[in-house]
Amino acid sequence: MRIACGMSMALFVLGTSAVGFAAEERTFDKTVAAQPHGVVDISNVAGEVQVSGWDRQEVSIHGELGAQVERVDVSSDGGRTSIKVVLPNHTNGHGEAELRIQVPRDSEVDVSAVSADIKINGVQGVERLNSVSGDVTGELGGADAEVKTVSGEIRLKGHGAAARLHVNSVSGDVRIEHGAGDFEGTTVSGTLGVTLDSARSIQARTTSGDVRLEAKLARGANVEATSVSGDVSLRGSAEDGYSYEVSSFSGDISNCFDVQAEHGKYMPGSRLQGSRGQGSGHVRIKTMSGDVQLCDRN
Amino acid sequence: MSGSNEGTELKVTRLAELPRSIEPGRDLWPNIESKIKEIQAAAPEVSGASVIPPRRHRARLSWLAAAAMVASVAVGVWIGRSVLPAAGRGAAGTLATKSPPGFEAATEATAFDAAYVSDPRYQRQRAALLRSLPARLAELPPESRAKVLASLATIRKAKQDLESALGKDPGNALLQELLVDTYQDEMRVLTDVHDASEPGRGI
Repeated sequence: MRIACGMSMALFVLGTSAVGFAAEERTFDKTVAAQPHGVVDISNVAGEVQVSGWDRQEVSIHGELGAQVERVDVSSDGGRTSIKVVLPNHTNGHGEAELRIQVPRDSEVDVSAVSADIKINGVQGVERLNSVSGDVTGELGGADAEVKTVSGEIRLKGHGAAARLHVNSVSGDVRIEHGAGDFEGTTVSGTLGVTLDSARSIQARTTSGDVRLEAKLARGANVEATSVSGDVSLRGSAEDGYSYEVSSFSGDISNCFDVQAEHGKYMPGSRLQGSRGQGSGHVRIKTMSGDVQLCDRN
Repeated sequence: MSGSNEGTELKVTRLAELPRSIEPGRDLWPNIESKIKEIQAAAPEVSGASVIPPRRHRARLSWLAAAAMVASVAVGVWIGRSVLPAAGRGAAGTLATKSPPGFEAATEATAFDAAYVSDPRYQRQRAALLRSLPARLAELPPESRAKVLASLATIRKAKQDLESALGKDPGNALLQELLVDTYQDEMRVLTDVHDASEPGRGI
């Protein structure tokens, strides 16, 4: 009887220590060879993904894995490196992993996350960053970028290098600084705040969120900003000027060049149109009830 | 194409250079109203054969009203059966999932939903996305789910506001354009949520 009790106790202690070991966080480290202009695919459900560029032709992965993470799969085939955090089926997608990944500077980086934050710095290749509820922050490289979230915020800083930048969020705020080139941004209820050092085209659209644009417009630049109920503000300077057409159904229209908006005599709505400088660019702003501010000085 | 304006020839080279609307210099309604009254007063004298007797006219109007009502009911039934998400009916390959709180209020069709965007492919795709939405929302983190529903409610409110403004000014091109933009935004949100919760895929 005493022996049986002792064995039971020993088994219990062994069992609890095994559970304790399984519940502990653990680290993961791996380095694989990569091509300088290759593609790096990263997939993580929860936690964080930090990506930075370096001068080696290798992809290095360091991970802090939560207890519910089963493993990290890393594969390298041709120019494509794939990193995927795998969760067991029963976790219902809540296992957290914090990944720090270094990639060749000119790599294309594709990150897909659910509730993981994405941070990216020092990468000069194309960036495709998608998170459902995590925030996306960091630097824009010199190449094109496509960034999407459902509820996460997007905060990115560029270096004024011209590229195509496409950002899209359902309810998160979007903040872009020192972008350049062609910008397209949409949110439903988030605020869209964008500064562009040199813009060829801007398309900004919200449903209820405010739009705040500051840009130096290149020759012949096209700007189109619309919102249903959000306010729209554009401070856009252009050496060769631009023609502008602003219309709002019930919002106020103001500007810094003392031109009066026209109000319909027999219909609601107001409209402001005219031209600054040589009028080589085109600015078009529309709202239903949001106020509009237009200025040609940054 | 060219036009003249007080003796000055204006050359128009692109459609975009044309004004989007031209307002009359004065209120035209008094003249229109007096013309209508003149025509109405003169109508019985024009030709007896072409004037509909009041009783026949009333009967014809009743038939027209009845036909319009039948057509409205038929369109309503069609919208109910083929466009709106039916309770307990899941998308193909998707198990029907209980809708989260606020789902119906955020996704309920507005007055113009079927009438304004009549492309059947759009209607089919929207209906399928709406049917699978509860299941897709269930896959999202709770915070995101709440924010998506709030955004869909924002879109629905925007559609209602635009439709209400269009009711007062049906020919307003600005409102029509914003309404179409809002429909596109709704589809983008539905597609993003669908893609975000697709197993093994990101948005």
